[in-house]
Amino acid sequence: MNAPERNIVTLKPASEPRGVGARLPFVDGVEKVTGTARYTADLPADGALFGKILRSPYAHAELLEVDTREALALPGVRAVITGDECDMPYGVIPIAQNEFPLARDRVRYIGDPIVAVAAVDEATADAALALVRLRVRELPAYFNAAAARKLDAVLLHDNKPGNIERAVHNEFGDTAAGFAAADLVREDNYECAEVHHAMMEPNAALAAWDAERGHLTLWSVTQVPYYVHLTLARCLKMEAAHIRVIKPFIGGGFGHRTESLNFEVICGLLARAARGTVRLLQSREETFLAHRGRPESHIRMKLGMTRDGRLTACEAEVVQRGGAYGGYGLVTILYSGALLNGLYDIPAVKYDGYRVYSNTPACGAMRGHGTVNIRFAFESLLDSMGAELGLDAIEVRRRNLLVAPTDTINGLKVLSYGLPDCLDWVEAASGWQARKGKLGRIGHIGRGLGMACSHFVSGSAKPVHWSGEPHAVIILKLDFDASVTILTGASDIGQGSSTIITQVVAEVLGIDYSRIRLVANDSAITPKDNGSYSSRVTFMVGNAAADAAANLRRLLVKAAAKRLDVREHEVDWLGEAAAVLGDPERQISFADAVEEALVATGTLTVKGTFTCPPEFQGGKQRGGAVGSTMGFSYAAQAVEVSVDLELGKVTVEKVWAAVDCGFAINPMSVEGQVQGAVWMGMGQALSEETVYENGHHMAANMLDYRVPTIVESPDIEVHIVESIDPNGPFGAKEASEGPLSGFMSALAAAVEDATGQRFRTLPITPVRVFEALNKKPRAAKSPVASAQGAA
Amino acid sequence: MKSILRLSVNGKPREDAVADNALLIDYLRDTLRLTGTKQGCDGGECGACTVLVDGQPRLSCCTLAHSVAGRDIETIEGLSHTGNLSRLQRAFHEHLGSQCGFCTPGMIMAAEALLRRNPHPDLPQIKAALAGNLCRCTGYVKIIESVEAASRTEELAA
Amino acid sequence: MAALSDFRLLRPASAADAVRLRGEHPASRFLAGGTDLLPNMRRGLVTAEAIIDLGGVAELAELRVVDAALHVGAGVTLATLAADPVVQARLPALAQAAASVAGPTHRTAATLGGNLCLDTRCMYYNQSEPWRHAIQNCMKIAGDTCRVATKSDRCWAAFSGDVAPALLALDAEVQVLGPQGSRRLSLADFYRDDGMAWLSLAADELLVSVRIPLTDGWVSAYEKLQVRGAIDFPLTGVAVALRREGDLIGDLRVACTGVSSRPELIGGLESLAGKPFDDAALALVEKQIKRGTQPMETTVINVSYRRRVTPVLAKRLLRRLWQAAA
Repeated sequence: MNAPERNIVTLKPASEPRGVGARLPFVDGVEKVTGTARYTADLPADGALFGKILRSPYAHAELLEVDTREALALPGVRAVITGDECDMPYGVIPIAQNEFPLARDRVRYIGDPIVAVAAVDEATADAALALVRLRVRELPAYFNAAAARKLDAVLLHDNKPGNIERAVHNEFGDTAAGFAAADLVREDNYECAEVHHAMMEPNAALAAWDAERGHLTLWSVTQVPYYVHLTLARCLKMEAAHIRVIKPFIGGGFGHRTESLNFEVICGLLARAARGTVRLLQSREETFLAHRGRPESHIRMKLGMTRDGRLTACEAEVVQRGGAYGGYGLVTILYSGALLNGLYDIPAVKYDGYRVYSNTPACGAMRGHGTVNIRFAFESLLDSMGAELGLDAIEVRRRNLLVAPTDTINGLKVLSYGLPDCLDWVEAASGWQARKGKLGRIGHIGRGLGMACSHFVSGSAKPVHWSGEPHAVIILKLDFDASVTILTGASDIGQGSSTIITQVVAEVLGIDYSRIRLVANDSAITPKDNGSYSSRVTFMVGNAAADAAANLRRLLVKAAAKRLDVREHEVDWLGEAAAVLGDPERQISFADAVEEALVATGTLTVKGTFTCPPEFQGGKQRGGAVGSTMGFSYAAQAVEVSVDLELGKVTVEKVWAAVDCGFAINPMSVEGQVQGAVWMGMGQALSEETVYENGHHMAANMLDYRVPTIVESPDIEVHIVESIDPNGPFGAKEASEGPLSGFMSALAAAVEDATGQRFRTLPITPVRVFEALNKKPRAAKSPVASAQGAA
Repeated sequence: MKSILRLSVNGKPREDAVADNALLIDYLRDTLRLTGTKQGCDGGECGACTVLVDGQPRLSCCTLAHSVAGRDIETIEGLSHTGNLSRLQRAFHEHLGSQCGFCTPGMIMAAEALLRRNPHPDLPQIKAALAGNLCRCTGYVKIIESVEAASRTEELAA
Repeated sequence: MAALSDFRLLRPASAADAVRLRGEHPASRFLAGGTDLLPNMRRGLVTAEAIIDLGGVAELAELRVVDAALHVGAGVTLATLAADPVVQARLPALAQAAASVAGPTHRTAATLGGNLCLDTRCMYYNQSEPWRHAIQNCMKIAGDTCRVATKSDRCWAAFSGDVAPALLALDAEVQVLGPQGSRRLSLADFYRDDGMAWLSLAADELLVSVRIPLTDGWVSAYEKLQVRGAIDFPLTGVAVALRREGDLIGDLRVACTGVSSRPELIGGLESLAGKPFDDAALALVEKQIKRGTQPMETTVINVSYRRRVTPVLAKRLLRRLWQAAA
């Protein structure tokens, strides 16, 4: 070992107080900044076999023969497995499971796993895969939704006619009447390129097979260890009790890891086949091929508006290229429609959504799941129509605000609504009234300002797997040493959930957080949790943590009363101590209270749970349960850009983002989440795009998939609005997804302000801007000739 | 084939039999178990593997181990050698310059090289020095604040 | 994350030794900073039985002014080059080009020689082995078709180094060492318009140094177009060197990168000497750039765009330099 001996001093929090509301550094932050945090690829695995996957070079083909005999005979090879190893399809949605860890009979995209090998080293694994012989019959392949939907198209999945994975049709309110009542009706088409999470940590898994017991332990990069556990049991046909799933440190996820992915299952299958331990590291390219990002979307948006800017009706059609397998697709296409509601007061909404199979890597959940692209379309059209009516972008939004508490037309409950305050702040901070439309042009640089609003759920009120269990469970262990150990299944993937849970427990118990340890994500130790997705953790697990801490506190108060020889209601619980009410001199320490609490019972474990009440699980109407949540976050943001009118390059100069997160349990973390969300929106808006050519991923690397660098990334000023949701823990709601989806239209509006051109296709690349500015003779005049100074 | 590699890692001289074709990152991670240095891409595109070679930031995934024979290598594990966090480590921790933490070691090493040659960088200088290090969580805002905070602090004495 | 192919690492102490070793090991490659070669080796684009690491060759690290010219060893890093006071003051195009390569962590390792010899790039070539296998490869590696222009009998991979155009505009010449001794040639002659054989360098020859004249009266600049603010290779890059004589153009040199299989010194501009700097002059520059470059679909970014903005960059630089030289 070369790591120097280390004795790191315990850090004090950056500021008081120590419970909720504090800007507490992450409880696992020291490990991250010292390099001692162990991510999956960092786990010691002496003697582990090297796993590797052979992937399909064909976009669509029948597998006639997969000959692995020579590979298996190669010295040093311990296992070679094919689709024969697993005949159980998996998928995160119980009614849409159509993916096999290794392809059986058919491959459906370039990159579909066919064979996996475990060998003593990488070179042997490579050599083994080179010996595999494939015989296939190629099938017609479809790389966009239109081609896949053609009448004569070969079906990717036999039970899905027209290659339609899911069609959604619903109408809430009377849209015909709404459009009839409108003074202005406009319709436009919007296109959004497919984007990918590109979290910094590539995929990786480590699986250890205990041959003696027939047990499996899997470490993986997952956001959802529980779903991975279920999938392993299903695909390996094992008792769930014989499986242990552990999540180490995770280098981001953003939705990529909210469902079981093929490499995790393959790693388990390989370990069993090789009767040993297998490490399966995925390259960045393979990580891109696992995909699950936001689908390429075509959106037709139609809005009706009265003369004074009130919305009367909305009609939207969305077509998503879903990729080769189901994954989360059904939820994506449902959310796109459902979350047209909940942001503004719209009397009637009609939605038609089509999720289409294609011979590209499967799409799935990505930050802002389902809402992002349709929000781009909606906000863009809202801007254009407002302008037509002479209404400023902020004003037209103010005329369509909800008034909480309310139920939306599709039965979603809105109990807290800080959007008006968000708008006020953004307007003031950005100097909107003085600057919008007045930034002018200097030389070949045009400047502009735009804004938009957005929202997101704080966890889906209806769980994906309905088991009748609470939505969240937390266990607290209190022992002789007067420490509190939080046991949680909630996955901290870098978003800071472990810190939030710790702050909630510290607040309710009133104790110093240095007394608290948190153990997460080991199925042998921690309670089940559904995982980190749909921004559910702060709201649901936070509530469960508050409940657990309150339960523990009751026991401690009882013990303190006994030790102080008073009745429970006479105890003044001070957290680190307990005193008699009105007599602060009669006091015992926390440790004394713990000692008393353990008498005759020993170590205490206390549970807390949280369940979304049925009335929050959506309206009774068809489609009413979709998007149901106990609280929406709200966000408004203004974006300032400069545009190089000669080169078409857009630069974001500054973003002002206000978020209503109910209550900021950790304001520093909220800022970080909002900045990250807005910035990720910027990537989608400006430079990111998965590109396929005949099914070949042309940007499966960090050069061609252009995640923004620090150089072109702007300052993002964050303002927190606290609407104190009645059901959130201390009033908190989500903060990290909602602010993303407003960015694209705010940017498009800013670019329009700078150039006069409205872009309805994402990303707004230099190529698109250049072509738009050079299309018409009017725009072709040399901007340089227009001289210095503002135009 | 392997040959003897002599160099210094985090201030300690080392002598190891290392394959000629071993990359510096693999030597650090696999042989020395210094797994703080991360592999985030398929080569040279993300900066997560940044270490210091004679004080200069280098991509350990694009460097052969034997090419830095005789040189001083510093990794993230070497920064807190006094037992305390370095000023950059402390600043990244306290100002949330690190969310998921995967880019953090490379980011801090690139920032460390900057602060050693320019103790009080301005914003463009910070951006220029970290331009090769991608982060997917923070939008870089709190990374910049962390470097600025560190530049206002003195390194704790050993 | 493929491991590198098995090779023997050789570390010569002199350029002559390096050349000798190259001759002794036909399946060998020179290694400088490694930021181009090693990622390419990881993708299986390059295999070698021996790697000749030039890091220990002191003479390649020389940087000095001799007889009104700057001599830069091929092993000087781009970071050193960009920060050098003489380069910054006298050869701004070179300083700007060196500073624009990839990111700062690349530039501390990447060398002048490495950037000049940078492998040509193409989206069908710079891919992993399984990726390339799925398209049955291309002619640059183990295939017989150019995927960019399937009917073409040549490879169209694009030269994407930033420093070469600056040095072309600055009229640099290179010194090359081979088993028969050393030779000098102009940088323009160092390149060939062929994506597979873009250097006129024999297999056993080593690029030793570059000589750049320090002539009074010249101003120069380099600018690249990239989607992001760092890391990216140039979609197109333009270097301009200009000598102004009062209100007339004295001399003018323009070179481009990223838009051909070699860095292109734009021809046909000699006639501008002695002419006024006006719209006609700029129009000629634009015409000659369009004539002298041929971007192809080697990246995911549209060709027509790269073709149309290259002259925009050139004219922008020219206007700026014209003002600066006043």
